[in-house]
Amino acid sequence: MQLLQARGVCATLVAAVVAAIMLAGSTKALAVPSFARQTGMACEACHTVFPELTPFGRAFKMNGYLIDNLPQVKEVTADQKEALLLNWLPPLSVQFIASYTQLKTALPDTSGGTGTPTGNGTTQFPEAFSFFYAGRIAPKLGGFIQVTWANDSDSFSWDNTDIRFADQTTLGKDTLTWGVTFNNSPTVQDPWNSTPAWKYPFSQTSSLAPSSVASTQLDSLGNNTVAGLSAYGYWNNLVYVELGGYTAAPHLTTPSQGVENVHGGAPYGRIAVQPQWGRHSLEFGVLGFSDNATPAGSLNSTPTDQYRDIAFDAEYQFLGDDNIVSAELTYIHENQTLNATAPSAASNTLNTFRLGGSYFYQRQWGGSIGYFSTTGNTNPALYVPLGSANGSPDTSGWAFELDYLPWQNVKLALQYTLYTKFNGAGTNYDGTGRNASSNNTLYLFAWLAF
Amino acid sequence: MRHRIGIGLGLALALGAPIAYPAEDQQIQRLATQTCATCHGRNGDSISPAFPRLAGQQAQYIEAQLVGFRDRSRGDPAAMAYMWGMASQLDDRTIKGLAAYYAAQRPVHGTPGDKALMARGKAIYEQGLPDAGVPACAACHGAAAEGKENIPRLAGQHPAYLVKQLAYFQSMLRGNAPIMHAVTDKMTFEQMEAVGTYAASQ
Repeated sequence: MQLLQARGVCATLVAAVVAAIMLAGSTKALAVPSFARQTGMACEACHTVFPELTPFGRAFKMNGYLIDNLPQVKEVTADQKEALLLNWLPPLSVQFIASYTQLKTALPDTSGGTGTPTGNGTTQFPEAFSFFYAGRIAPKLGGFIQVTWANDSDSFSWDNTDIRFADQTTLGKDTLTWGVTFNNSPTVQDPWNSTPAWKYPFSQTSSLAPSSVASTQLDSLGNNTVAGLSAYGYWNNLVYVELGGYTAAPHLTTPSQGVENVHGGAPYGRIAVQPQWGRHSLEFGVLGFSDNATPAGSLNSTPTDQYRDIAFDAEYQFLGDDNIVSAELTYIHENQTLNATAPSAASNTLNTFRLGGSYFYQRQWGGSIGYFSTTGNTNPALYVPLGSANGSPDTSGWAFELDYLPWQNVKLALQYTLYTKFNGAGTNYDGTGRNASSNNTLYLFAWLAF
Repeated sequence: MRHRIGIGLGLALALGAPIAYPAEDQQIQRLATQTCATCHGRNGDSISPAFPRLAGQQAQYIEAQLVGFRDRSRGDPAAMAYMWGMASQLDDRTIKGLAAYYAAQRPVHGTPGDKALMARGKAIYEQGLPDAGVPACAACHGAAAEGKENIPRLAGQHPAYLVKQLAYFQSMLRGNAPIMHAVTDKMTFEQMEAVGTYAASQ
């Protein structure tokens, strides 16, 4: 058996495994040369331009990250069942993101010390650095495991993780890929990039950009708060169905103010259909997620906040020889009954809409445009303490990005986010004279995956 | 790019005789329908022209290509990106089995393309381009573009895929068939488009 050698890259990476794991922000960045090492396939097989997946990349994910062309360490039982199948070389990789962020008007420094406003021409070197183990773990079991060091917390934290068992069978005349996924954030396991865990085309945004007062559960449940198990099936390369649930899995540190913990079980379901024709694919689907949450530190008997999310998503791709076009749409509708956080004004709604499109020429030059909008009912009791002077959470704007990839695993990007409304208003949204446009963000970044 | 003739192609040329292939093999069927099918389609009928249709393709030709991917003598961009990885761990028995599997699938019928292209393409396919030193394609690929032994079926293939291969042969980005480089050397892109459209439509 010939040894596989990734082109030009010596496969002697030794992972110095995670130093400390603490609660911190996570990066959404996810290109994994681990898979290139395991499969022997170039990035373009599974990605249009990373991190966006092609139909083949989605199939690879749904099949458990198992396709491999590396020599294996093997063992079989006495009755010929596979007992061990380990890649001879571990599918490890790293990701390095360095950036420069400039807000139109820098945010005042709240650290109480240095007096340097954040986002005032701030260089982060790196902004984020991740280790990945991504690939086969055992026969029919594969994983995507990411650990990230983030500049803004100066610490490592657990990031996107999806470990899945997958197999294939026949249903009717056609192939059914089915599996079970164990993961740590709703939609991190989803094959389509139009879902909240991926937020394509703007998967990578500045960690220094301000967040609005409200986002839906699907958008905000991070990688360090829940664990989920679901079963899925993908039939005839067309219909995808998934059903499962999440439960609280917070890290065992002192709970901080304002953090909510999922209480009990949180069901999750997803249906998608993806017809393909010629060089086109079009997915459209529905997601549902529902959870009850309690503020950190509260007893089990306290009232809970109830969230019910339903989302629609669509993703279109055209994969030409030289030209690649893709578009993503996400709409999340959330009903909230906040018996714990805002019992006097418990019933609320929150809607988030995102529409984006990308074009790339020869996978080297390209860019994206996106529109985003979150709207909800005005609720002063809920939103004024968080920073909205008029008690409305409405935030909307546009994002633009230009990309140059000198090589398939190196992305240089210039991104600009323009806010038309922020935390309820276009002007003076916080009562101290800050406008939505004050948060306009210029973000230059270099994203290396190797 | 390497220009060596693939081992399989060389052997086939040398032997010039039909080779028996083991077709009834559960493992081969699983590989074809679960892994290869992701790009090449359930029965070898791929959706995207980025991936060639394999249904009814000549077994010797498929075998030569898989060996070419495995030993990297065929190195056009898509071959490198997808097939080098896919083929790197295939043993000879599996390669023969996959070749036989796809050869046994029902070939896809071509559909007619643009009339003007088809007319020009038919002329090139049947008579060649003597001034440009291009022989008639039918001489090797058959009157109905069905291929023979190690010469591939073109009928029913994605036209865009055929045109791309002709361009790769000309530029030597695909170097595992020197005879095709000689054939395409003086062709214009319009001629490639025409003959590709016609051959695929058969």
